[in-house]
Amino acid sequence: MTASDDRESALDTILLEAEIERFFSAEAEMLDERRFDAWLDLLHEDLRYWMPIARNVRFDKPETEYTREHSEANWFDEGKDILRKRVLQIQGGDHWAEEPRSRTTHLVANVRVEAIDGADITVKSRFVVCGYRLEHDVDLFIGKRIDVLRRVDGKLKILRRAIYLDQSVLLSRNLTTFF
Amino acid sequence: MRATDFIDLEAGTLSREIFSSEEIYRREVERVFAPAWSFVGHTSQLAKNGDFFLSRCGIEPVIVSRDQAGAINVLLNSCRHRGMPACRYDSGNATDFICSYHGWSYGLDGALVGVPKFRERYQGKLEREKWGLIRARVNVFHGSIWATFDDAALSFEDYLGPDMQFYLQALLQGPDGDDDGYEVIGGLVKWQVACNWKFGAENFAGDHYHGYSHISVERLSVGLSGKTSRHNFAAAKTPRQAMSVADPKRGHTIRASVFKDLAGYDVQAGAPDEVNDYYLKCHEERQKRLGDKARLLIHGGVIFPNTHFNSAGRTTIGLWLPLSAGKTEIWRWLFVPRNAPNIVKDTLREYYLRYAGPAGMVEQDDMENWTAAQHGTESLVARKYPFNYQLAMGLARPARADEWLGRDVSITEDVAEHNQRAFYAHWAERIADTP
Ligand code: FES
Ligand SMILES: [Fe+2]
Repeated sequence: MTASDDRESALDTILLEAEIERFFSAEAEMLDERRFDAWLDLLHEDLRYWMPIARNVRFDKPETEYTREHSEANWFDEGKDILRKRVLQIQGGDHWAEEPRSRTTHLVANVRVEAIDGADITVKSRFVVCGYRLEHDVDLFIGKRIDVLRRVDGKLKILRRAIYLDQSVLLSRNLTTFF
Repeated sequence: MRATDFIDLEAGTLSREIFSSEEIYRREVERVFAPAWSFVGHTSQLAKNGDFFLSRCGIEPVIVSRDQAGAINVLLNSCRHRGMPACRYDSGNATDFICSYHGWSYGLDGALVGVPKFRERYQGKLEREKWGLIRARVNVFHGSIWATFDDAALSFEDYLGPDMQFYLQALLQGPDGDDDGYEVIGGLVKWQVACNWKFGAENFAGDHYHGYSHISVERLSVGLSGKTSRHNFAAAKTPRQAMSVADPKRGHTIRASVFKDLAGYDVQAGAPDEVNDYYLKCHEERQKRLGDKARLLIHGGVIFPNTHFNSAGRTTIGLWLPLSAGKTEIWRWLFVPRNAPNIVKDTLREYYLRYAGPAGMVEQDDMENWTAAQHGTESLVARKYPFNYQLAMGLARPARADEWLGRDVSITEDVAEHNQRAFYAHWAERIADTP
């Protein structure tokens, strides 16, 4: 491999990460601007959306720190069908936990491509989600995300989203926002 | 303080102050929580000797463990030396608990087994048998584990009373009517809400009236089948009578329905085939086992004061854990039928996750409303005006007509604030110095 090949492949990664960063920024903007139907369009039909619950465990049992998908309690462990219902619920104006609406800001950072497998790209990132609600209510959600993005007809779709929240006991009354 | 300072049963009114006064909160801790028996967990969380998990008994932090002899222990999680939690892991398997401050160590039964410098500096005189972790009284009821630190408290059976024993047993029966038919799925759901714990308690105790809270979710078919509204029994064609059932002597309450007759299976309309087949088989099995009593459908309720449960096709048990007058932590255990095929367990689990807790499309609106209601208890002006609990007042009847529904309970059919009145009447008795 020549130096210029190395440079080529490094540039490929940078370009891909830049594309994904833009993708995530656009996604965050859709959520913050409450364009939920556009957001749903970013989700692959086979999406798995999973947010485990963090537990306080012994240092030598790290595999038990987060509850498992498909078998244990989780904050979220669902597909696009349920997310679609969540969007419909918010859009109706009668879901009191989001009526009047919260103001949210989604920040995504430290975006790094972890692996590429055919059309599927595994991406790690960090998120900060702030929600301000009514007069005095503040929600702050910070954590890590591992996404699998699939390129379908040239466009990125979210095939899998694992959301690791750093909180154990949820310090907010509700999780009405998307991550 | 007198009970009538807070509640006027004749008028059907209740003081707003009881939701926001820190003084009343402190009295609750001593007079309502400390003497109570509390749900602390389930035996399925302690499959092996050495298994343990952290829980709460009343509002006290406890370790629930299965020791090497297989016995279940409920221990105050507070080191006898300086009060550190003896255990800081939510759950696991251990041989002992070593306090991280000075290293005292305790066995799974709470016995103090190790004291650094025991011989050299305590001169071997420290009476280790007197300095074990504080042990709670424990009772296991069809798999559920209950505890109290109050030596003067009634026995668990007397605390529940005969009627609530019947309902709790019914709650813990699997869908096929088998006693002890459930297991807990891994991971407790814990979150905090900025409202008084009683908003949750009275809602679970008897609020058949708050359908308006949930209108958004009624549009969306979030039930187990994905085809009916939020409740599985919404598909049932057999007529049923909803009721509020209260044990006024003890403060326990149940929301339930009784079907008109022992009808065929018509509940899980549209569920995936394997799930539907399972419930059909269970339905028949349950009728065979329970006979006429299989007409009972428990929706939910409260074991006084803070153990609450949901049923009617999604069995969860939880705790309201007040942190102050205006702040509450909520804990939930999610149950699935022990002997069900995995697809049933998984379908049910997904149903809980979209229904209950902070990510639950149903309960989100409850939490929103309770925290908003809390504001209405804080204003000085508003506090002069009591809350209204007059819904279906004066329509109660004793249960004796249908003997199997209980001897001590009273019942109001249909939508009512019958259970809330009973809950608060008992609460006020506990809080008061004189009636
Ligand atoms: S506080 Fe536990 S050993 Fe000192
Ligand atoms: Fe509700």
